[in-house]
Amino acid sequence: MPSGNTKKRARSAREKTAPYGDDINLEEYEYSTSHPSDLESLDNISKQDRTLVREVGFDPSQKRVSGSFMQFDNESILADVLIQQEGLEVMPTDLALKKYEWLHDYLWNAVQVDTDKYTARSELENYSGYFIRATAGSRIEMPVQSCLLMKKNQSVQNVHNIIIAEEGSELHIITGCATPANVEKSLHLGISEFYVKKKARLTFTMVHRWSEKIDVRPRSATIVEENGTFISSYAILSPLKSIQTFPKVRLVGPGAKTDLYSVVYGSKSSKYDVGGLLSLEAPKSNGKVISRSIATDECEIIARGDLIGLSGETRGRLECDGLLVSNTAVIRAVPMLAARAEGSELSHEATVGKVGAEQLSYLMSRGLNEDEATSLIIRGFVKLKVPDLPPALQKSIDDAIKMSMEGGM
Amino acid sequence: MNTDFLLETKDLRVEVSGIPILSGVDLTFSAGQVYAILGPNASGKSTLAKAIMGLPEYKISGGDILFNGKSILHKSITERARMGIAYAFQTPPRIPGVKLDDFICRVCPDYQCKDEDEMLMGDSCACKQILYDDFERLGIRNLANRELNDGFSGGESKRSELFQVLSMRPKIMFLDEPDSGLDYDSLKIVGRELKAIREKRDATLVIISHHRYVLEFLEVDKIYILQRGRLVYTGDMSDIPILEEKGYERFFAEIAG
Ligand SMILES: Nc1ncnc2c1ncn2[C@@H]1O[C@H](COP(=O)(O)OP(=O)(O)OP(=O)(O)O)[C@@H](O)[C@H]1O
Ligand SMILES: [Mg+2]
Repeated sequence: MPSGNTKKRARSAREKTAPYGDDINLEEYEYSTSHPSDLESLDNISKQDRTLVREVGFDPSQKRVSGSFMQFDNESILADVLIQQEGLEVMPTDLALKKYEWLHDYLWNAVQVDTDKYTARSELENYSGYFIRATAGSRIEMPVQSCLLMKKNQSVQNVHNIIIAEEGSELHIITGCATPANVEKSLHLGISEFYVKKKARLTFTMVHRWSEKIDVRPRSATIVEENGTFISSYAILSPLKSIQTFPKVRLVGPGAKTDLYSVVYGSKSSKYDVGGLLSLEAPKSNGKVISRSIATDECEIIARGDLIGLSGETRGRLECDGLLVSNTAVIRAVPMLAARAEGSELSHEATVGKVGAEQLSYLMSRGLNEDEATSLIIRGFVKLKVPDLPPALQKSIDDAIKMSMEGGM
Repeated sequence: MNTDFLLETKDLRVEVSGIPILSGVDLTFSAGQVYAILGPNASGKSTLAKAIMGLPEYKISGGDILFNGKSILHKSITERARMGIAYAFQTPPRIPGVKLDDFICRVCPDYQCKDEDEMLMGDSCACKQILYDDFERLGIRNLANRELNDGFSGGESKRSELFQVLSMRPKIMFLDEPDSGLDYDSLKIVGRELKAIREKRDATLVIISHHRYVLEFLEVDKIYILQRGRLVYTGDMSDIPILEEKGYERFFAEIAG
């Protein structure tokens, strides 16, 4: 795609508001004017930052990973592939675009640049972000870890990530985004495009931990080819100003499969509008969108799920469960099913409710007090059991959830 | 004040959503004794136990519940549990995401998890081996890693409830049909556990049941029979075969006549 045309499309969508989420005035922020510099080594990051990144599953000691990527604001970047990892590439997106001419075909391919003002703006400003790729047939068993930190006030972190699992490869990514608690009003724009080729397998685990004045507008989409598998698990556990995200997965090849799991632990007066769209475009493709929401304090959670069956012999399943722990919080589950082909089987189940009185009584009769019982029920509810996730990643998610529960309760 | 009894109900009246279920029940339970509460379906047996445990849907509309001579009506479920009152649920609710072994380690000091530091990478909880041995003894080793009451079979559920209640070392425990739905072998296991408690005489057992096997095996000291929310008969072991032979209807007709 010639870049002149892309810019033109971006400019045309500059004022295009998104269908969901509060509209954000993009003129209120500062954009980065320079390209990020290199961060020499993970040893140079401060103790505080270490703690922060650990909370989103990033291990600065790199003990059980195949590669790391870390970015501070739009300022500095570290990209590191551990030596023994053949077939794995981790580098800043802008470098990768210079290195590989063909990569331009992947840029703004899964996600459309004129989707809304956020995608448009992301293209029109300087961006960085990561490019992660497993070459054909490579099985990268240890996860690649990435972490995007945002520390500057009144500014925009603008990233564009491209992830490619080439034919027959296996790739696991754990990525965290975090801001220290003292950051004032800032915005995170994140474009992520995932490409899962024939028979490839990609798992993507993401933990977000923002602070109360941050708005977050990720835009991501995935294209899964024949017999490819994409498993995404997402946990957002901290308060923030607002997040609106609606990742889209297109199953374009026969036998393609995807499972999208998410956990939202809402608190304070944060607004979460989190969803997932599954487009079943080829026979025998199938997928699930499973979400758990816990609403505390005065937060507002909208859990969306959208299944579109465009081909016969497809199966899609939506499960939205919400637990309300406060009288001033709101959860709305918005499931949408659209079968446009005969033989597309779509189903959904949504429950939203308070902690069950019978469950509480039961646990209290075993000696727990009301708060302990409630928190045990919540912990159990938020547990995100993702089948097929490597145990180390499952543990990262469990730990992140555990940490934020302990911090927040 | 009579403090001879460990627990007493006095003219106890209980309603559920405004409908009276118990209409004035007087019962006494002494330390170290074994009781059976009998009565037809829907006569109020589970209601009685739940009201004593303090479940909020079971509203006390009159009378009193005394523990060691003192009213416990104002006490929460938690407080009652910590005082030594336990109730094994007839149909325990499912608690998703909470594993049976983690849960027991948490509520029962005897099995408590070891320090986090001692844990190996990847272990969610390190319970003492004795927990698993005890599970084995009750034949529920397979449930250790399962979510609480999630798809437990009828018999598994009974044994898991019994296990939990016993591990709390209560002073008085209300076992709601611990023997129903059990196969012959499980029945023996449960009988043996209860017998061991009876022999130690350090806890009062109150068994709600529809079957004679466990009651006779334990040699219950006293039976109470409820009918439509009232105590209609107080007797002993010797009544059990008669009850079985006649059924409640004839039994009630004869005691009335
Ligand atoms: N939570 C509740 N909501 C509505 N009705 C209830 C509730 N709990 C008990 N009841 C009613 O109270 C009456 C007594 O019920 P209870 O469970 O105490 O009987 P039971 O003697 O234990 O019977 P079973 O032998 O069948 O277990 C029944 O009519 C029952 O439907
Ligand atoms: Mg009953």
